[in-house]
Amino acid sequence: MKFGTRWPPVPAGILIGVSMLLAWLVAGRGVGASGGMTRFVAWVQHGLFPVATEESAYFGRYFADGAHPLYDYVVFLLVGLLIGAFVAAWRAGEFRFEVLRGPRSGVAFRLSLAMAGGVLSGFAARLARGCTSGQGLVGGAELSVGAWVFLLCIFAGGWMVAWFVRKQWI
Amino acid sequence: MDLTFPLAKAGVISEALNLWLAIPIGFIFGFALFHAGFTDSRRIAWAFYFKDVGVPVVMFSAIVTGMLGLWGLSLIGVLDISEVYMLPTFLLPMAVGGLLFGVGMVLGGYCPGTAAAAVATGKIDGMIFIVGFLVGSLVFGDLFPVWGDFYNSDYMGAFRLDQWLGVDLGLAVLIVVIIAVAGTLAMRFVQNKFWPTGEVDPQRESVVRLQGKLIGVALLIAMIFAFFPTESFIDDVEETPWYIIPRADAVAIP
Repeated sequence: MKFGTRWPPVPAGILIGVSMLLAWLVAGRGVGASGGMTRFVAWVQHGLFPVATEESAYFGRYFADGAHPLYDYVVFLLVGLLIGAFVAAWRAGEFRFEVLRGPRSGVAFRLSLAMAGGVLSGFAARLARGCTSGQGLVGGAELSVGAWVFLLCIFAGGWMVAWFVRKQWI
Repeated sequence: MDLTFPLAKAGVISEALNLWLAIPIGFIFGFALFHAGFTDSRRIAWAFYFKDVGVPVVMFSAIVTGMLGLWGLSLIGVLDISEVYMLPTFLLPMAVGGLLFGVGMVLGGYCPGTAAAAVATGKIDGMIFIVGFLVGSLVFGDLFPVWGDFYNSDYMGAFRLDQWLGVDLGLAVLIVVIIAVAGTLAMRFVQNKFWPTGEVDPQRESVVRLQGKLIGVALLIAMIFAFFPTESFIDDVEETPWYIIPRADAVAIP
């Protein structure tokens, strides 16, 4: 059978699981998305404030012993992710610039909430030592208690606020 | 034991090659995220309204696939699991992080991986989300001394569900698969109840049949796992002593 652009959830999830499995088999570690972004932003800040960033309690280890923050596994993964999503969308003829939002939401409203949600998730992902993929999926498969608590709390947090921002989505 | 997997840890491939191989692995990940419909913020956000429960179903499927593969390959002796990095648990920071992350997801409509994939498909709301995400990460890192102690608190090592439940690892795997299947069916039920759709997908029947078969295979494998004691999956029960920042350094922060 042909799946078309949007695959049924189970086969799509299996392919994500396969990518996780490959990372374990090849590198002995899980996949992840937020780590690459943290390294990226540390690199940008290092360009502006090299000394402060190298002395930073959190970012400093990216520069230890003259290391380059972008020469790391998570960054290479992120590059691959970007290429993979681009190629998939291009093949499906779905690459276009647009602002996705619910029928009752304006562009400015959507973009300001996207910004707010981004800031909050960025902070939360660092606090939880990973995001949905690196902590939730990988940790979930490794049977980590912390990862399962993290996943449950994501849905709890989302449901708590969902009603207040329903105009954005439905 | 000289098992060949993980390749990088067994010295089969160099560190540099390992890094370059992350690109095709990431490629598969991003490719799958697009076809899962995860580059569309609405589809992700709709999960919180039960309007489209595809997101948790994809997540369950990914976790089950990864879990069966990881522990199964260790069981048959292909993968040296003691060389696989296991994520440790810092319970309270992860719970609080999860709550905040969930709020961020329903506001922003993405998580980092899906937002990056959305950027690669031209979604402007994804780009703005990423800008916010970078700012949030920067705030966390630059003001780390403020919450560093909390970040490193409640450390439990690589604490697994089977240890928490006091059961064998194989049984914990089976329980996770059953929860995933039950959760999927329950959420589908809620979706169909509150958001009934008039249109009938012509492919629906074949999709249901295919997914039913895949779920059946997963259940079967997990049932076989349940017959084996924990030691056949993992013999290194030491906790992971390290993650990102060595714990000893955490107390050095004023």
